[in-house]
Amino acid sequence: MDLLRIVWRNLARHKVRTFLTVGSLVVAFFLLCTLRTLVTTIQSGADAASASRLIVQSAVSLFVDLPQSYQTKIQGVEGIQEISKWQWFGGYYQNERNRFAQFAVDPAQTMSIYPEMEIIEGSQEEFERSQRGVLVGEELVKKYGWKLGDTVPILPELFPHPDGPGVAWEFEVAGIYRPTARNFDASMFLFQWDYFEETIKAGSGEAPGVGTYVLALEEGADPTAVMGSVDALFENGPQRVQATSESEFQKQFVSMFGNVPFFVGAIGGGVLIAILLAVVNTMLMAGREQTRDIGILKALGFTDGDAVKLLAWQSMLISLLGAGLGLGLAMVTQEGIAGALGSMFPGYRVTPSTFALGAVLAVALGLFAGIAPAWRAARLNTVDALAGKD
Amino acid sequence: MKFVPLSYNLRSLVVRRGPTLLTVLGIAATVATVAGVLALQQGFATLYAENGRADLAVVLRPGATSEGVSSFSRESALRIAKSTPEFALDENGAPLASLECFLAVRRFRVDGGETNVPLRGVQPQTFRLRGDELRMAEGRNFVAGTDEVIVGRSITGRIANCRVGDVLTINVTPFKVVGVFECDGPFESEIWGDFDRMLSALERFGPNRVLGRLAAGADVAAMDERMRASPDTPAAVTTERDYLTAQTEVLSAILVFLGGFLGLIMGVAAVFTATNTMLSAIASRTHEIGILLASGFRPFAIFLSFLFEATLLGLCGGVVGALLVLPLNGIQTGTTNFQTFTEVAFGFRITASVILTAIVFSLVLGVFGGTLPALRAARMTPTEALRRQ
Repeated sequence: MDLLRIVWRNLARHKVRTFLTVGSLVVAFFLLCTLRTLVTTIQSGADAASASRLIVQSAVSLFVDLPQSYQTKIQGVEGIQEISKWQWFGGYYQNERNRFAQFAVDPAQTMSIYPEMEIIEGSQEEFERSQRGVLVGEELVKKYGWKLGDTVPILPELFPHPDGPGVAWEFEVAGIYRPTARNFDASMFLFQWDYFEETIKAGSGEAPGVGTYVLALEEGADPTAVMGSVDALFENGPQRVQATSESEFQKQFVSMFGNVPFFVGAIGGGVLIAILLAVVNTMLMAGREQTRDIGILKALGFTDGDAVKLLAWQSMLISLLGAGLGLGLAMVTQEGIAGALGSMFPGYRVTPSTFALGAVLAVALGLFAGIAPAWRAARLNTVDALAGKD
Repeated sequence: MKFVPLSYNLRSLVVRRGPTLLTVLGIAATVATVAGVLALQQGFATLYAENGRADLAVVLRPGATSEGVSSFSRESALRIAKSTPEFALDENGAPLASLECFLAVRRFRVDGGETNVPLRGVQPQTFRLRGDELRMAEGRNFVAGTDEVIVGRSITGRIANCRVGDVLTINVTPFKVVGVFECDGPFESEIWGDFDRMLSALERFGPNRVLGRLAAGADVAAMDERMRASPDTPAAVTTERDYLTAQTEVLSAILVFLGGFLGLIMGVAAVFTATNTMLSAIASRTHEIGILLASGFRPFAIFLSFLFEATLLGLCGGVVGALLVLPLNGIQTGTTNFQTFTEVAFGFRITASVILTAIVFSLVLGVFGGTLPALRAARMTPTEALRRQ
């Protein structure tokens, strides 16, 4: 216990230095934590996927729609319980910064395919019945203050309203859902396919295409066999399709980020090297200055092991203090950062694994930076140390 | 006023080489990280902005932010190509304008994973109005009207089935890769083929955009205004350079922001480290400072001397950091440009401005890190300082 007090006193002796070292650790760990959270956020989309759902999309391009006639053909494949059309609407609310996922869907089928959506206000019947009805995630409700029955105008970018350019599509909040599974998107905006189709037809006279078909498998059905049969249906055109598991579908978007996760990792490596050098530097300086003190301690009968502990603990304390504050800062600021990133990285949240990684790095850093000065302190000859010689 | 000789600082740095080295490396890591991000931004932004041509007009559907979401019927596109007075004429009197179709198609990367590669259908006139922008690096150009394609050099090694002789299937139509082309602009990440063959393979009917060479003195703003107001074929016009610059704004801004954010945060840590090193240097040289003061150097000269030492420390870090990022120059990488949803391949570019930013950044780190310790040194009184061993 006495030793720990000496450790503490030594840190307090050079308040400025301890403050600066801890300060640089705080910013470095804050940065590492933030960077890693960006990567985990990019990758988290794939975690919400269910094994019992399949997505059918064009094998040619993300921007090519499938004909509506495919729905009955796909439904004929054995092992499929339910199927819904989905189309990405790609509009925004009030101004271009307010973007979220809007889809035209078959309401009843979608509710049965996604049991993860629990309706907390309004009802599924209301969603199915009301022509302009929309089911919104609770995150959207929190953000924009919508209430049941409100009319929400969405400005289109891909599907102009037949009444002219710049005219918003109007929807009415018929239900609010809360995800019952972790990582499930709580900010979707799902509206009636029929309303979508009728409005499009009123403009161009043609029925809109389908972005993706979402399928729920029957219990016990073999996903691989179903995917194979669906793909084979349209092998010779007119539009080839690709059926994938939901997680593969999500991973495709993760994969689009290309080398971004690698870059973020490389930046994190740079930060880590810089901070390691800083802490090692501080500890070497501290060790050198405490040469005489260690001589005195040894003369008083403290062992070489105590000398090692004295320096190792200083290093460890600085590292843990800095890392702890840095991780705390990352946690406190996560709301603000999530707000600033907006729709680009939905669901920005520091995960427990990031905290664990931070803790491991902090301990490793503390150990490593303590090695050289502790080794030196153990080897110091008492007489030389008292004379202040190396 | 007498200045402390610079050699004093140089020698001090050498004598305390351990801490000096650690500090220099710490600053170098900071500078290198920031410079790396900026090099990426430079590579990306210059690929688009420098290579877009000001004498080419891009005609899109009004309201479309990129060619992927623009579309025309064949008739209206032909009308625009044939009857726009601002377009230059070739030697036969035909306008130098062509229709293009464009689609980001799903392709597999060589190293696994999927991405979206731009596929462009072009007409023979496209090559005439582009002049010698495209150079065949391997094989030959495709023959118009056939199921042949050429691919940009920067995707041949990254995307599956993109080498000469490979067969690349688009929907249900097999296309033969007959050549690899080089080009300084973003087209080097694309697959090009015959306009009509592409439309039929993709089951589409109309082009995405019209491209035209502007005659000398054409007024693009007036042209845009007139064509937007056209009752039967409304269209929006920009130069190719403006179009490409607009396509990169978001990603470019993100990279600049990331560089600035990293610079700020890592900079704070680096300044703290430099301050620590300099404080320790001054503490162990208290006696020397006493001698300097006693031999007639003014406190301000002492201040400058230590500030210089810290700046030198920063500069060394900056130079090492710049050397560390230098090997990145030209390394190709890729990510998705979320404005177009297509993959672009581009290289790190260590430009003069990247190096300059790195050096200035390191000097700033040194000055900030040195101010407090230098002030402390300058405030010492000679008698007390001399007494300390």
